[in-house]
Amino acid sequence: MRKFLGFALALSVVAAACGGTTSTGGTTPSGGAADMSALAPAKDVAPAARITWWHAMSGVNGDAVKKIVDGFNSSQSKIKVEAIFQGTYDDLLAKLNTALASNAAPALVQVYDIGQRYMYDSGQVVPMQAFIDRDKFNTSDFEPAVINYYKYQDKLQSMPFNASTPVLYYNKDAFKEVGLDPTKPPVTFTEIADAAKKLTKKDASGATVRYGFGPSIYGWLFEQLMATSGALYADNGNGRDNRATQVVYNSAAGKAILDWWKAGVNGGYFYNPGIDNDGAANAFNAQKSAMYIESTARMRGHITTIAGKFELGIGLYPRPDSKPATGGNIIGGASLYIMKSRPAPEQQAAWEFVKYAMSPAVQAQWQSDTGYYPVVKSAYDQGPSKDFSTKYPQFQTAISEIRDSPQNRMTNGAVLGVMPQARQRTQKMIEAVLLGQASSQDALNAAVTDMNAAIDKYNKANP
Amino acid sequence: MKLGTVANYTLLVVGSIIVAFPLLVALSYSFMSESEIATFPPPIFSAAPTLDNYGTVFATIPIGRYLLNSFVVSSAVVIGQLLTASLAAYAFSFLVFRGRQLLFFLFLSTLMIPWEATIIPNYMTIRTIGWLDTYQGLAVPFMATAFGTFLLRQAFLQIPRELWDAARIDGATTFRFLVSTVIPLSRPALGTVAIYGFLSTYNQYFWPLLITNQTLMRTTQVGIAQLRFEETLRWGLVMAGVIMVAVPTLALLVLGQRQLIRGLTAGAVKG
Repeated sequence: MRKFLGFALALSVVAAACGGTTSTGGTTPSGGAADMSALAPAKDVAPAARITWWHAMSGVNGDAVKKIVDGFNSSQSKIKVEAIFQGTYDDLLAKLNTALASNAAPALVQVYDIGQRYMYDSGQVVPMQAFIDRDKFNTSDFEPAVINYYKYQDKLQSMPFNASTPVLYYNKDAFKEVGLDPTKPPVTFTEIADAAKKLTKKDASGATVRYGFGPSIYGWLFEQLMATSGALYADNGNGRDNRATQVVYNSAAGKAILDWWKAGVNGGYFYNPGIDNDGAANAFNAQKSAMYIESTARMRGHITTIAGKFELGIGLYPRPDSKPATGGNIIGGASLYIMKSRPAPEQQAAWEFVKYAMSPAVQAQWQSDTGYYPVVKSAYDQGPSKDFSTKYPQFQTAISEIRDSPQNRMTNGAVLGVMPQARQRTQKMIEAVLLGQASSQDALNAAVTDMNAAIDKYNKANP
Repeated sequence: MKLGTVANYTLLVVGSIIVAFPLLVALSYSFMSESEIATFPPPIFSAAPTLDNYGTVFATIPIGRYLLNSFVVSSAVVIGQLLTASLAAYAFSFLVFRGRQLLFFLFLSTLMIPWEATIIPNYMTIRTIGWLDTYQGLAVPFMATAFGTFLLRQAFLQIPRELWDAARIDGATTFRFLVSTVIPLSRPALGTVAIYGFLSTYNQYFWPLLITNQTLMRTTQVGIAQLRFEETLRWGLVMAGVIMVAVPTLALLVLGQRQLIRGLTAGAVKG
């Protein structure tokens, strides 16, 4: 799924070489409380009549995007936004790199969470903070967990758009069947392991027909487990105080996660679908696993597919038995970037649209259409959001999960220029441990060594 | 003898089932509801077949337009490739000129250049001429083919030199010989180049994605990507889209199969 980014990175090198658009990282914030207004166009620049927005939302989410754009276009007569679907997040980024080389980039782009540092280093972005400072735009209504993810040195780089977190999905019917309380899903590593042992069912021949817990080997889930452990993934405050120079997940917290995971798989009560997110989801739908962890964005899909065959429960994301007070979940999803290469009037128009998209009514509708979190808190008071909560009461758990997450560098999540690669490397690491090819500590150390070399290379290539 | 035939056919049937299995499963899944696909073990045939997935494909993307675009572009590429490749191959096989061998190897060496390396320059050229979002932008960069030229050259070399001499003595021009002798005699090879060119253009993903922005200019492969949602994969829907996109290429393959088999082996053994 993320295979294109490596290609995108390679393209950007070529692009910089032939397009002469070599960036000098001009968006470097001066840090601290410095006002960034100067980076935005002057307030009296009239917005362009027409701008383009590239996004990666398909299907139902694509329809929801269209609704926002149509709403904006009919709400005023000065600006017309054209939204263009550009394939997956990776496709979009690859296309953006090509387009930047010949000044064909749009004014507004949606880029996924892990492309954050990469966008920043490209030097092609006007930080969102510049517009916020210029207009004294009030961000106090924004969901802190969501907005903090997109900050570097406490400056907002892009506007969060679609936000989700991972949660524990569980099969309430299976819980009842084995005498577990379906209203009290397990939270800690030990609780999950104990519940999983009970939930695991074998047939007469000894073959497992249902596993207790079946997470995909997915790098994002590991990052989240590090965060709920209250541990850092990378140095320099997860790359948020300064650019990260190395990853540090080969800590006791990292080892505890892998040991727990491996014990479950070895014991036969964790299902291992491999590096396969859809496979893990399908196993849960097919009741082959009674619990698993995935993004809240999958919730509606599960409800449709399960179609009443069993009752779906949503619980908090797993964490160590000590339940560290500094631990919590990181936001995933994507955000909107205003591109520097477009003329000031277009940037202005893009900002107008971003403001519209962040209004509570639009956000409430967006939540109701897609199942993503609203970015602004007051959206929950709006009709569509209330209807959504009534229809999907399980979502309440997800909301409290991000509300209760303390805000610190661990829960803000790591930002690395090579994040897609880092994610793949951790997946290989977990796989090696689960297949018994390496001990937890050895696998962690090997992955960290590889990634530190990759980070070093990236940092040298993007001074 | 009889036993041998039975064994052969059994082997072939088993082999073809294995090869066709993914396609058959795709076909079967395209008629299943999402919750039926999710049952375990996954069913092979639907208990309650439904056309809902196909309906949703039509409602989600303008698939008819995508198919039309793909056909226009692929056909244009085929025509272009046949023209350029046959002329080039003709020059490399019949005409004698200084540096022919060198030029031919230079030509072949372009096969070694990965497409990733040319994509940015191509993109910039197309953008400079203002061909983004056009059929010519989608088709023209692929109208010359080193592989096709090579294949046709090998086919042309099979044509006895005596025919060339006879035609020249009878006063045929170089062009006349190409049109009335070489082309008719090389139909299998031309068919192979055509089908190969059609399929590879039809299956393109990144280039069409790169140079088109309007929905109406998109091709099928980019189009069906829209059926894949980032967070949830609806297998039935994706499979319905895949079947609709695959049917035209399958039809083409069935129609052109004989040409393809004869063509690919032409010149494999000198004899």
